[in-house]
Formats: sequence, C-alpha cells, structure tokens
Amino acid sequence: MYRGSEGQWAFYLHRISGIGILVFLVLHVLNIASAMWGPEVSNAFMKFYHQPVFQLGLLVLIAGVLYHGFNGLRIILMDFTTWGVRYQRQLWYGVWVLFVVFYLPFLVKIGGGILGGSHGD
Amino acid sequence: MAIKSKRYQEARLEASTNLELYWWVFMRVSGVVLVFLLIGHMWMNAVLVDLNSIDYDYVAKRLSQTTWKVYDWLILALALLHGGNGLRYVLDDWVRDPAKRFWTKVVIYSLLAFLFFLGSLSLFNYDYGVN
Repeated sequence: MYRGSEGQWAFYLHRISGIGILVFLVLHVLNIASAMWGPEVSNAFMKFYHQPVFQLGLLVLIAGVLYHGFNGLRIILMDFTTWGVRYQRQLWYGVWVLFVVFYLPFLVKIGGGILGGSHGD
Repeated sequence: MAIKSKRYQEARLEASTNLELYWWVFMRVSGVVLVFLLIGHMWMNAVLVDLNSIDYDYVAKRLSQTTWKVYDWLILALALLHGGNGLRYVLDDWVRDPAKRFWTKVVIYSLLAFLFFLGSLSLFNYDYGVN
C-alpha cells in the first residue's frame, strides 16, 4: 500500500516515537512521584537523571514528542478533510518544517547545557 | 480490532463496535489537546529553566499550585489513556498468540493504572508544605 515511501516512514516513526514516549512517561511519573517520599529520596533520583546520558535521552524524547504530535495533526487532517490523503506527502514535509522550528530552541538550550558541562551541581 | 481507516466515514463503517469508534475519536481529540499541553510543559521546564536545576524544591513548588495540579493531571490522564490505547493497537498488530497478547495487556494495563493512581496521589493527596 505504501511501497516503502514517505507514508511508510511516517507510520513507523509514529509508532516508535509513541512507544518511546510511553516508556518515558512511566519513568517520569515514578521520578516526580518520588517527591512524596521527601527531599532525600527525590533529589537522589533527580541527581541520577541529571547525568549527561539522560539529557541526551531527553533530547531524543522531545524530538519524539514533537514528531508524534505534528504527525498526529497530519493524520487528523487526512481523516477529516477531503484533500488530506491526496496531499499526505506534502503534509509530511510540513510536519518536518514545524518539527525543526519547534525543536531548535530545545536543541540549543539542552544541547548547550550538555556541551557546557551542566550537571546541576 | 483496531480501526485502520484514514477517513472518519470509513472508520465508522469499519468499527466493529461503537466502543472501538469512540476510541478512534478519542485518539484524535486527546491528541490535539496533548500537542498543546506537552509543548507548553516541555517549554516551561526545559527551555525557560535549566532542567539541571530541577530538584525537590522546584517540583514541590509546582505541585503545590492548583494551576499545575490541573494542568499536569490532564496530561497524566490523557497521556495514559492515549498511550495505553495506542499500545493496544501495537500489541494487536505484533503479538499474534492470543494467550500471550491477553497477558501482555493485563500486565501493561495494570502498570498504567498504578501509574495513574501514583501520579494522582502526588498531585492531589500530598502536602509538600509549600505556600
């Protein structure tokens, strides 16, 4: 049906990013909820997650959220307009334009933090 | 089974049950809401502040304010439902053995229900002592 072109990539990336976001959500809720056990426990988790490797992971996560969100809007346009399916490829390029615009501030801020050796303490 | 149609009219025809159609609609509605909630959430906590400065005090202060209680709880509820149902579509595709699929779903739904409970407690049932 998709013959390995843009539509297929759009689909697989949507799936992979969705699964990735759900995995993050589990860790994120556990991390934030640890505040109920007080500052010692909570700050130990925070310090652990402030390691550069997790900041890098966060950059990947944010990319996933932005892609999944904008591609989701593309899916909705395909579902509810008469022209969406016909222009699905052009819409997908539009997704990437939005992605770049929104991702840059995060990349600069978080990437700059990693390169600048920011570890929180 | 999950709906594969790309058009609402076709989705209505393909839906095996009304419930499946409601899920199909829910994914779109919650998706739009989540796009805005999450961009705001990420912007506030990763661009406006240095995320490495986030510690217990920062979290306690945020979770003590009604605005962020409601905001974060909306994300929590919508994301768990949206993500849980999305994963159900994936498992229906990828896990062919009915028994394995059933038990995978039992484990995952339990975990997500536990997370919803834990997240809700930390938002509404704990006093961080911040005014």
